[in-house]
Amino acid sequence: MNYHKLNEELDKILDELQSGELDIDEAVKKYERGQKIVSELETYLKTAKNKVTKVKVKLS
Amino acid sequence: MLPVDKTGQVADLPILGVSDFVAVFNQTLEFVYPSVIIVGELSSFRISKNKWLYFDLKDETASVKFFGSVYALPGPLEDGLMLQVRGAPRLHPQFGFNINVQSIQPVGEGSLKRAAALLEAKLRAEGLFNPARKRVLPYPPSKIGLVASGESAAYADFIKIMNARWGGVEINLADVQVQGESAPDQIVAGIQYFNQSAQPPEVLVITRGGGGAEDLASFNTEQVTRVVAASRIPTMVAIGHEVDISLAELAADQRASTPSNAAELLVPDKITEQKRLKNVRIQMGQHLSGLVADWQANLITSAVELEHVISQYLQRYTDELSAKRNILAALNPEAILRRGYAIVRKGGVLVRTTNQIKKSELIDIKLHDGNFNARVE
Repeated sequence: MNYHKLNEELDKILDELQSGELDIDEAVKKYERGQKIVSELETYLKTAKNKVTKVKVKLS
Repeated sequence: MLPVDKTGQVADLPILGVSDFVAVFNQTLEFVYPSVIIVGELSSFRISKNKWLYFDLKDETASVKFFGSVYALPGPLEDGLMLQVRGAPRLHPQFGFNINVQSIQPVGEGSLKRAAALLEAKLRAEGLFNPARKRVLPYPPSKIGLVASGESAAYADFIKIMNARWGGVEINLADVQVQGESAPDQIVAGIQYFNQSAQPPEVLVITRGGGGAEDLASFNTEQVTRVVAASRIPTMVAIGHEVDISLAELAADQRASTPSNAAELLVPDKITEQKRLKNVRIQMGQHLSGLVADWQANLITSAVELEHVISQYLQRYTDELSAKRNILAALNPEAILRRGYAIVRKGGVLVRTTNQIKKSELIDIKLHDGNFNARVE
């Protein structure tokens, strides 16, 4: 999962909902998608761990 | 006293041709001094054909000649700087004794600063530090290439803060030396490794802790600064020091004051982020209820408008209908009877002319209020 990309999508949904230019079907769909993203991001924050790997660099 | 033969020559000494002497001498030098490190003041510095370096290092009483390639330059130099030069002493077949340069480092705070200032002016003129070149780092990144010493406190601090603030980041560490003579080459190799990777990280973090001017010298070298500036991957350089900003930091897309600060700038804090997400949830709910309320209000307005339009139509039709009714009423034959006219029928047939009736015939006369019979006279 890419937190950055999902978060961007969430920002876009918020903007669209805020603009008031959506029709009702679209607004409900966006709202549901937004809630789903928030849940995914919340799960990520609770569970994700950093992973460090050493790479082998050759000197030229 | 050395033993001397009859001709006056020293006994047991080999007699050599000039080239042989140069070869033997160089072999001996190579055996005894494969490499030497000399510190002295730079003088008679010149570059020939953009390729070759010639200079002397001197102190109060002596001066030694050096020769090398421009690739050994740490950056622009000028006479008067104190340098530490590593090289191989040798006797050139034509030009005499010199030291073949392997590496050059300015030493002493004054010289380091002066060399950095010269390099900064050169690179600034080339536009390497131009603010327009700076890219925005993805926030937060999912993959980081870290160029640091795996043993350093800087590395430990960076990882500690990263783990405390955020999760799910893949951190690839290029474990390199960040001080000493081989540090610039290693840092460059680390940055290049990530840039050439098939799946490059989203951000490169190049970091080390604080130290004296000489410890940080690698980050003021031309090669490191250029590689940072040329990186395809956006860069963050974090050197833990307070006084001067290194050239590598100037060339980076973003700089951080310490390794911990780098982690703080790279990723959000998850507790703050959780609060933000909670707010986003509420905001979305509010926006949607706002929209629903607007639509309801619109619907009510539309219903009222519709009712109004329909009642206007109804009124129009009612008016038209009543006008038609009046016309119809006026055209009703009964209405004419009321004005004194009568309808005459004979045997149920309407009598239109006197020719239709004869004397004594019975006719039916209809007035507006009733009928009666009469006989024709």
